[in-house]
Amino acid sequence: MGAAGSKLEKALGDQFPEGERYFGLENFGNTCYCNSVLQALYFCVPFREQLLEYYSSNKSFTDAEENLLTCLADLFTQITSQKKKTGVIAPKRFVQRLKKQNEIFRSYMHQDAHEFLNYLLNELVDILEKESRAVKSDLESSSSSEQIPNGLNTSHTNGHIKEPLVTWVHKNFQGILTNETRCLRCETVTARDETFLDLSIDIEQNSSITSCLKNFSSTETLNAEDKFFCDKCCSLQEAQKRMKIKKPPQILVIHLKRFKYIEQLGRYKKLSYRVVFPLELKLTNTVEDTDAEYSLFAVVVHVGSGPNHGHYVSLVKSHNHWLFFDDENVEMIDESAVQTFFGSAQEYSSNTDHGYILFYERVDVGSAS
Amino acid sequence: MGKMEVRGERKADELSAMHRVASAGNTSNSSRPRKEKRLTYVLNDSDNTKHCGGVNCLAVLKHSEPNNRSQLFTGSRDGTLKRWELSEEGATCSSTFESHIDWVNDAVLVGGNTLVSCSSDTTVKIWDSFSDGTCTRTLSQHTDYVTCLASAENNSNIVASGGLGGEVFIWDVEAALVPVTNSSETGVSDSSNGSEKSMAVTSLRAVSSSNGITSLANQPQGYVPISAKGHKESVYALSMNDTGTILVSGGTEKAVRVWDSRSGSKMMKLRGHTDNIRALLLDSTGRFCLSGSSDSMIRLWDLGQQRCVHSYAVHTDSVWALATTPTFSHVYSGGRDLSLYLTDLSTRESLLLCTKEQPIQQLALDDDGIWIATTDSSVDRWPSEHLNPEKLFQRGGSFLAGNLSFSRARASLEGSTPVPVYRAPNVTIDGIPGIIQHEILNNRRHVLTKDNSGSVKLWEITKGVVIQDYGQVSFEEKKEELFEMVSIPAWFTADTRLGSLSIHLDTPQCFSAEMYSADLSITQKAEDDKINLGRETLKGLLAYYLSKKKHRFVPQPSVNGDIPSNKDISSKNITLSKAEVDGNVQQDSRIHPPFQFSSTFPPSIITEGSQNGPWRKKITDLNKSEDEDFPRWVLDSVLHNRMPPREHTKCSFYLHPFEGSTAQILTQGKLSAPRILRIHKVVNYVVEKMVLDKSSDTLISDGTLKPWKLKPSIEILCNNQVLAPEMSLATVRTYIWKKSEDLVLNYRIVSGK
Repeated sequence: MGAAGSKLEKALGDQFPEGERYFGLENFGNTCYCNSVLQALYFCVPFREQLLEYYSSNKSFTDAEENLLTCLADLFTQITSQKKKTGVIAPKRFVQRLKKQNEIFRSYMHQDAHEFLNYLLNELVDILEKESRAVKSDLESSSSSEQIPNGLNTSHTNGHIKEPLVTWVHKNFQGILTNETRCLRCETVTARDETFLDLSIDIEQNSSITSCLKNFSSTETLNAEDKFFCDKCCSLQEAQKRMKIKKPPQILVIHLKRFKYIEQLGRYKKLSYRVVFPLELKLTNTVEDTDAEYSLFAVVVHVGSGPNHGHYVSLVKSHNHWLFFDDENVEMIDESAVQTFFGSAQEYSSNTDHGYILFYERVDVGSAS
Repeated sequence: MGKMEVRGERKADELSAMHRVASAGNTSNSSRPRKEKRLTYVLNDSDNTKHCGGVNCLAVLKHSEPNNRSQLFTGSRDGTLKRWELSEEGATCSSTFESHIDWVNDAVLVGGNTLVSCSSDTTVKIWDSFSDGTCTRTLSQHTDYVTCLASAENNSNIVASGGLGGEVFIWDVEAALVPVTNSSETGVSDSSNGSEKSMAVTSLRAVSSSNGITSLANQPQGYVPISAKGHKESVYALSMNDTGTILVSGGTEKAVRVWDSRSGSKMMKLRGHTDNIRALLLDSTGRFCLSGSSDSMIRLWDLGQQRCVHSYAVHTDSVWALATTPTFSHVYSGGRDLSLYLTDLSTRESLLLCTKEQPIQQLALDDDGIWIATTDSSVDRWPSEHLNPEKLFQRGGSFLAGNLSFSRARASLEGSTPVPVYRAPNVTIDGIPGIIQHEILNNRRHVLTKDNSGSVKLWEITKGVVIQDYGQVSFEEKKEELFEMVSIPAWFTADTRLGSLSIHLDTPQCFSAEMYSADLSITQKAEDDKINLGRETLKGLLAYYLSKKKHRFVPQPSVNGDIPSNKDISSKNITLSKAEVDGNVQQDSRIHPPFQFSSTFPPSIITEGSQNGPWRKKITDLNKSEDEDFPRWVLDSVLHNRMPPREHTKCSFYLHPFEGSTAQILTQGKLSAPRILRIHKVVNYVVEKMVLDKSSDTLISDGTLKPWKLKPSIEILCNNQVLAPEMSLATVRTYIWKKSEDLVLNYRIVSGK
């Protein structure tokens, strides 16, 4: 292991980024789903920085109770504070906590990395919301006008308005989708907004993320037995429905639906489709006129031919170098190697390493707010 | 305890209904009956001479003789068509064509005396245009909404219909109208005198229309229209040339398709629009075609060259209606932007003629004017100068139509909004504001509605009248103001699709609500007499029909010998009063005043016939021929007082002494009583039990509880709340108990006097 570390150090040489640590994560028996996602999150720099900042400024009261947020923060702190630049760390507390909290992840079975990511982000949001509410009620009872921690925007001072809280997790990952329905008779458009932390998209053979996203927001017609009740027409009419991205998130997480339930088989099947994911992505299906531009910084890769077994690794871009994280091992790879994870154009291919969760960070200026 | 039950039985009143029930669940029938046909009635509060829904279509019948005035036909979202006699003074309604059960979407005139209409009820209907509303044929080939029709100026025999799901049919009207001799050889239903005769149908397939009535589309064996197959998506516009040889269609595919209407074969497909095509016009020869689209553009196509020769950016929103001058030199266009424009097709000059308050849905040229139909229930005629459109352009104020989509939208944003040439129409045919919002009140007899004009009214749906007109007030506030804490089962549903209030009755739900006769001021009934709201309403609706049918009605001996009272019957119901005087009608069939429907503004009934699909008719126009056409369950209930088993008219509850109360325990088991039982009845029950227990049980010698001389004063509580005596068990359950478990009531002796 030490040799691997030194190998990476040797490979990077002078270019080893200052202050950066590249540590493998120990596998406790099928915890690669967890390790691969944790690496992607660790190298999501704004997320890492805000987590550590939040943790150091709120240590006093988070000490009281261990939760997934404190465990994650502990783990990240542990990595950043390592003396050595490379090595292996055992995310023991975090995994224990995860298994304690959710029985889905308790077994030693192969787990779904997307399910874990989704659970983790929602759990973090819940913890932050709970804390902020507790803080708020504390503040109210003491009628203090002090600023509420964790950078929460408190435009409303009376605290009675129960508008959804925007935590720093939201600020990083949350986007808004708008569901537009247009009655084909009176052509009135009804729009309904919904928030998302990641986009799960259907995939096709020999396609690209851009085309899959286009399909995601393509128009669907409500017709025949499934007409739309138009309030303006007071009757059922044909309507066109489509999803648009109203607010593109800072960190865009795209989940490729590679595991599909096949009715005839009565089980899930892995789709090894070749889906090209570009290093730079433009989101065009937005409500805003300007396209949102993104840069790829992490990929969680599923290795294997079936949904119930296999392995997860992650590709991470840090300081313009691409790194390959496989549990304990960390290697440097060439940027061109990323395209070997697009998938296979033929159904039965020896290549079973397929991009599964993509992490993009918004790069365009003017969207910093 | 046994004694008490005997006493209860002897009393033969409601207390006997408060019997114990086994606590082991009911043995209710779990097998669900097949879906029964629905009966709908459409309420009315004005005469038949005005539309109450947006006008979807217009057709002008011009007479050649100069003294003969033109006639206008309108088809509306209210489900009816009307014929208007046009004169210098305006227009008067001379006939209403009522048979469609959903929006009338389009209408065309063929050969002068035939009117063809299409509807969201999936049918095309053929009418005698000069009749009193006679539907001569119903064509049921379509399986989804029929949205548009096209006819040929010089060929009175051909009509094309287009609809959702991409269906396009070309009909030979004459062939479709041929009287059917062999009933098994038709896909059309023969009807005369407005009443459709029954017809054997070889095969059926069910199609749901938007009101939930399942219509049966006939699978024809004999006359089959030509089908123009190829549309993958819904058709919203059609047009034909004068000879009826070329048909164009457009819809959500965004392409104009051209067909040979004699064979139904595809000729070409023209692309260019970027959204739904809502209006099409072919010139008389069939060479040029105009299209209006939701992409806000008007396009001129040369079918000879198979290409778009011009595109006109005139409107700032969807183009829904087109009309041209006789020479196809100018086009009138209207749409979602409320504006009517006149555009010179060659110079591209465009002029704003007028603006409306509602989106423009259809246009029709008249001698010297243009009729405009909007989503409002009124239509009006504006000057058009269509014989000499140049005159209008000479006045100035025109602009040059661009050829890029939304260039007008940008122009208007930049403040160059044109001023309309005309300020006011020269003729207006008023409609009445359609109902757009409704709320069924808790008493389940009153429905609050709001119409297009903001007027709020309260309807009593069991007699179909407006009982309060509040004028223009806040609907929400009125709704809150009228809130009553009562709980009555939802025995009907309602919608306002037709601009009127439609009440839907389905079995068995419609028989789930009961009321005390006394609460409806129905006299000559026992104090505890209950009536079923659904059944009484059905009786009221069918009263006119039954009185006509009287001769065939076999009277049954009166159940309890009650003498029917004529006092209860309003003068409006003369036929019925007579029937009762005759003594032929059993007491049970008496129509109680709260269920007497008006004959001045009679509601219409919509239901599905046994064979000919759905129909609609005024209750006063029902006659014997509808006999077989009512759903079986309606006749069973009205004629034979047979109703499906009802599960929800009873309410189970426990009756326990209030915690800490000195009142003795009367009963441990579960009780059952009608849902509508009032709390004061429960009080009476408790009192009687106590008195009875006291008098029969001499063992109690407790000094504090002397044998009752006066009845004890008892109050009933639920969830620690004292209940008002007039509350019903159902109300207590819904508003006080608020749990799904069996209701628990407590009683205690009121201290003090």
